[in-house]
Amino acid sequence: MIIEVEKLRKEFNGIVAVDSISFSVERGEIFGFLGPNGAGKTTTINMLTTLIRPTSGTARIAGYDIVQQPEQVRRRIGLVPQEVVLEGDLTARENLVFHGMLYGLSRQQVESRIPELLAIVELEERADSKVKTFSGGMKRRLELVKVLIHEPEVIFLDEPTVGLDPQTRRRIWEYIRTLNTEKGVTVFLTTHYMEEAEQLCDRVCIIDHGRILDIDPPERLKHKVGEGEIVEIELTARCEEFVKELEEAGLRVKSARGCRVSVVAERSEKVLAEVFSLAQKLGTSISSISVREPTLEDVFIHYTGRSIRDEQGGDTRIKQIARRLKH
Amino acid sequence: MRFLREIYVVFWKEMLVWVNNPMLPVVRALVFPMMWIVIFGSAFGGEVNHIPVAVVSQDSGDLALAYLSMLGTGRTLELKYTSPSEAERLLRSRGVYGVVYIPAGFTERLRSGERVKVRLSTDESTPQIANAMAAHFARVSRSFSARFGMEDAVVVERNAVYGRGVKYLDYLAPGVVMMTILFSSIFSGGLNLILDREFGTLKMLMVSPISRDAIILGKIFAGVAQSIASGVVALTVAMLMGVHLKSGALGFALVILLMFISGFGFIGMSTAFATRITQLEQLMVVMQVIIMPMWFLSGGLYPLESMPDWMRPLAIVNPMTYATDAARAVMIRGIIWETLLVDLVVISAFAIAMFLVGSYSFKKTLGGVK
Ligand SMILES: Nc1ncnc2c1ncn2[C@@H]1O[C@H](COP(=O)(O)OP(=O)(O)O)[C@@H](O)[C@H]1O
Ligand SMILES: [Mg+2]
Repeated sequence: MIIEVEKLRKEFNGIVAVDSISFSVERGEIFGFLGPNGAGKTTTINMLTTLIRPTSGTARIAGYDIVQQPEQVRRRIGLVPQEVVLEGDLTARENLVFHGMLYGLSRQQVESRIPELLAIVELEERADSKVKTFSGGMKRRLELVKVLIHEPEVIFLDEPTVGLDPQTRRRIWEYIRTLNTEKGVTVFLTTHYMEEAEQLCDRVCIIDHGRILDIDPPERLKHKVGEGEIVEIELTARCEEFVKELEEAGLRVKSARGCRVSVVAERSEKVLAEVFSLAQKLGTSISSISVREPTLEDVFIHYTGRSIRDEQGGDTRIKQIARRLKH
Repeated sequence: MRFLREIYVVFWKEMLVWVNNPMLPVVRALVFPMMWIVIFGSAFGGEVNHIPVAVVSQDSGDLALAYLSMLGTGRTLELKYTSPSEAERLLRSRGVYGVVYIPAGFTERLRSGERVKVRLSTDESTPQIANAMAAHFARVSRSFSARFGMEDAVVVERNAVYGRGVKYLDYLAPGVVMMTILFSSIFSGGLNLILDREFGTLKMLMVSPISRDAIILGKIFAGVAQSIASGVVALTVAMLMGVHLKSGALGFALVILLMFISGFGFIGMSTAFATRITQLEQLMVVMQVIIMPMWFLSGGLYPLESMPDWMRPLAIVNPMTYATDAARAVMIRGIIWETLLVDLVVISAFAIAMFLVGSYSFKKTLGGVK
């Protein structure tokens, strides 16, 4: 186990941000923390990367205690925080060199690693451009390899694709996979994007209000919602009675919000037939119906009764700064 | 309509914030303007008073006594009767700004209708004081001469010991050089730290294995270096404009040393403030309440002697006063260790204290992590 977390807890002025969580991450894994804004993801990362001290509990990274041996921990980790921390007035190369030098590498050592690293994220041609001329996606890519300069054992990525368009996001996922397989680095990432956790992570830890709800590979998590598929129905009228009737007929209503109802179905044909006949019986009509595989979204709703999307919208960088300047 | 409503909503929100933060608006709206009026009005508007002048008299006749008592009337001068050697020492160590020599036979020669010359040695490194002092002597001598029915029975011969022709620019330059250090320390120390924290660049240093002390020292030294750079630019510009540096290369080196010591102090001070500051507006308040008065009350723009008595203690506890005084001493009067040492001790003590306070509070804000 490269990360072992034991009853890690953080309070800010008596408010619990991370509530005595325990888990572990295996070497070589891509491990994801999935939760809405304010769940405690960044706070957990800040503790694991020795930026803040836990209120109680501790964790070991590569065998070193984050509270007792912070320096040993720092040598073995890399952090890509939520906000871009590159120096805009320096070039990509200069940023990498500066970073390497923080870790005690000589300029030559860093220079010798730069071509390979920039190649991974396809930024070779921009090595000598100032970072402030980069797009958001390019900056992210540069940050991803910047933290590899000192060859860490684990990298922590806090919301690595927040604020990026879907296409760029997919490319970043590719790069993260490449780093993981080619460099053998363990990846600990946080996200509030379902697809990101689903597509990228070997295991996902669902966190809400500072508590862990479940940890498992995405497939297993999805099966916990129910074996099978999800039927989503939208009605035009008499919705409440319809839901009642469904439940009386022995179907598993997963969620019902107004006239949108979803049902877990082991065999969807049977459920569909039932739904249509009920609708006919009640004299209402179905405006839409669809059958799909469950997603982590369903898992989150299953555990919390809320949709993660309700409170989505990762802060933009400007908003974050404005918020912090205000407080 | 909708547009107006939106304006109103924004206005309302701003006002709400304003009202909920009572310090800022009150301070801005009332205190600052009053402070400026008081400082500008009294520090620069007033006459120069209480100028210490040594008297070396070789005549104890009644007319000499009458002349001296006329000189001492009013608030302009403070006369100190001394021996010639003591007078010279006082002039060197800035104990007095001038020495007046009453020649032997002053009384007799006036009685016999002769003209008499009175020598006045002046320290012209503060031209406003030298001029005020000379003007007072001329005025008193004219009215004293009138008793004998002459315009110029007593003539004052002005003798500038550090050389004549010290202009206001010469006087101002050392103050401005030190002001540059003060102001740029605030930006490269305090502001820089706040921005670093806001933009997360500090985080990058914090997750790296370099020690916390190294981060602090690195930042402080960088700040000092940046301040010295701007100080050197200011000094160079002053010299290009014709300001002379009395003590040459050694003087230049001494001014740099002064910049270094006081830069250290100011950076430490601004770092201490910055660790408490979460909004840029608060930095502006610090600028206006602390930094600007430090500059205006340093004697950099106008001699401290022109300040009203109640304001002088502020200048005495102001480290900028000593930094400016030292720089001016080196640049105009030459290296006179007697006065320079006092200044050096004061600003070094300030620098060490502020460095400790600054690095301690910086370390504290690093979240208590080793
Ligand atoms: N420095 C802080 N001071 C006070 N409260 C904080 C601080 N940092 C985070 N919190 C609170 O802790 C909770 C978890 O925040 P965070 O870890 O940033 O969540 P996430 O990264 O999952 O969005 C939130 O309620 C947040 O307001
Ligand atoms: Mg976060």
